[in-house]
Amino acid sequence: MTLIVLLLGLAVGVLVGLLGIGGGVVLVPAMVYLLHMDQHMAQGTSLLILLPPVGIGALREYWKQGQVDVRAGILCALGMLVGGYAGGLIAVPLSSRHLKGLFGCFLILAAFLLWRRPEPKSPLADSVAEESSRG
Amino acid sequence: MAEGVAREASVFVAACVCGVASGLFGIGGGVLLVPFLALFFAFGQHRAQGTSLVALIPPTGLLAFLAYARADYVSWKIGLLLIPGVIVGGILGGLLAKRLQPQRMRQVFAGVMLLLGIWQAAAAWWR
Repeated sequence: MTLIVLLLGLAVGVLVGLLGIGGGVVLVPAMVYLLHMDQHMAQGTSLLILLPPVGIGALREYWKQGQVDVRAGILCALGMLVGGYAGGLIAVPLSSRHLKGLFGCFLILAAFLLWRRPEPKSPLADSVAEESSRG
Repeated sequence: MAEGVAREASVFVAACVCGVASGLFGIGGGVLLVPFLALFFAFGQHRAQGTSLVALIPPTGLLAFLAYARADYVSWKIGLLLIPGVIVGGILGGLLAKRLQPQRMRQVFAGVMLLLGIWQAAAAWWR
């Protein structure tokens, strides 16, 4: 059991670094299905896991490549802090069943958003797009 | 200048939306923030991911976490056991991201999320 939990953490962490996400989106269903947790409990536990800077090792790798916009990142952190409070207030009184269903719908939406992103054709096109976004 | 402020204000608003999802679903919010930065603000994929990781360094979920903790919806034992793996795995993932074609990875991940989402929604409501 303990070993499964440790390995699960490792697997989620690889996704954190690879995709630049928090990992909760994988942690929550994993805790619900593999560890048989209630939906609310899984979500609260996922938020606990995300309190320490779990992405810091991954960030270091992106930092070395200069692939970080610190200013935008700080703004995003502030926005997420405020929004997160609202989200928490909405979620706690919901029934576990509806919360689980909503989580499923959210995963479907997020999957489409992730899939849809237009990838620049070449590294050159990428750098041009970034120049124009800065200017 | 005004344009820059407007852009920053819209980044903030987009992040608020990610925050609501974060509190509502107990996630970091990066899964929404990365596509938002890429789709609406013309960030390259790696840059969107790196910036999302910056946003995840401070405990942005703290207020949401407190709401769950007050209702006793936290498993401390499992949570604390998962943290070290996620940190170590994150370093490995960051190293891998430099070598891999991120588009392929993201699409595989999106596919897995789609299936998981359908499964969860059906398990909750299809009775």
